[in-house]
Amino acid sequence: MICSIKSPAARRLTIRVWGAVLFSVLFTVVAAMAIRFGHFTGVLAYLVAALPALPIIGVIVAFGVFLREEKDEFQRNLLVQCLLGGIGGTLAVTTVWGNLEAFVHAPHLPLMWIYPIFWLFVGLSTPVVLLRYK
Amino acid sequence: MKNRLKVLRAERDWSQADLANRLEVSRQSVNAIETGKFDPSLPLAFKLARLFGLPIEQIFSDES
Repeated sequence: MICSIKSPAARRLTIRVWGAVLFSVLFTVVAAMAIRFGHFTGVLAYLVAALPALPIIGVIVAFGVFLREEKDEFQRNLLVQCLLGGIGGTLAVTTVWGNLEAFVHAPHLPLMWIYPIFWLFVGLSTPVVLLRYK
Repeated sequence: MKNRLKVLRAERDWSQADLANRLEVSRQSVNAIETGKFDPSLPLAFKLARLFGLPIEQIFSDES
C-alpha cells in the first residue's frame, strides 16, 4: 500500500486498484488478440488499441476517489506528497530525456513508459516522505 | 506550531492510539501533530479542543 495507509477507504482503494490491474491484464490480452486476429482498421483499431489504458485511467480515478473518501487528513497529506514526488520525478525524467532525444538523438522513450515511471517515483518518494514524520 | 497534546494526553492517561481512536484518525497522525511535524486543520483542532474541553489556544500556540 502506498504510504502505508490502513483505513476503510484504503481497503477500498486496494480492492479498486487490484480490480483495475486484473482488468488491465484482461484487456491487454483481448486487445492484443483482437489486433492480431481481428484485422481491425481505422477508428475501431484505435479503440481496441486504447482498451488496455481504460483500467490504467481507472487507477488514477481510484486514487482521486480515495483522496475524497479518506477521513484522516494527515494520511491524505502523506499520499499527496508521495504523488507529488511521482509527478515531479516523472516530469524531470521525461524533460531530460526529451532534451536528449532532441539534441543527441537518444533512443525514443515510448509514451506508455511514462505511467510506470510515475509509479516508480511514487514508490521512491514514499520512504522519503515517511522518514520525515518518523 | 507548538502544542500541549502530550501533556494533556498524559493527564488523562491516554496513549497515542487512544487519542487517535477518539479523534477517528491514525496513530501516526496523532504522533505527527504531537511532535509539531503536522499542523491539524481547523476542524481537527476544534475536535481536539472539544475532546479536551479546552479552547484551541490552550492546546496550540503559534510560537515556533
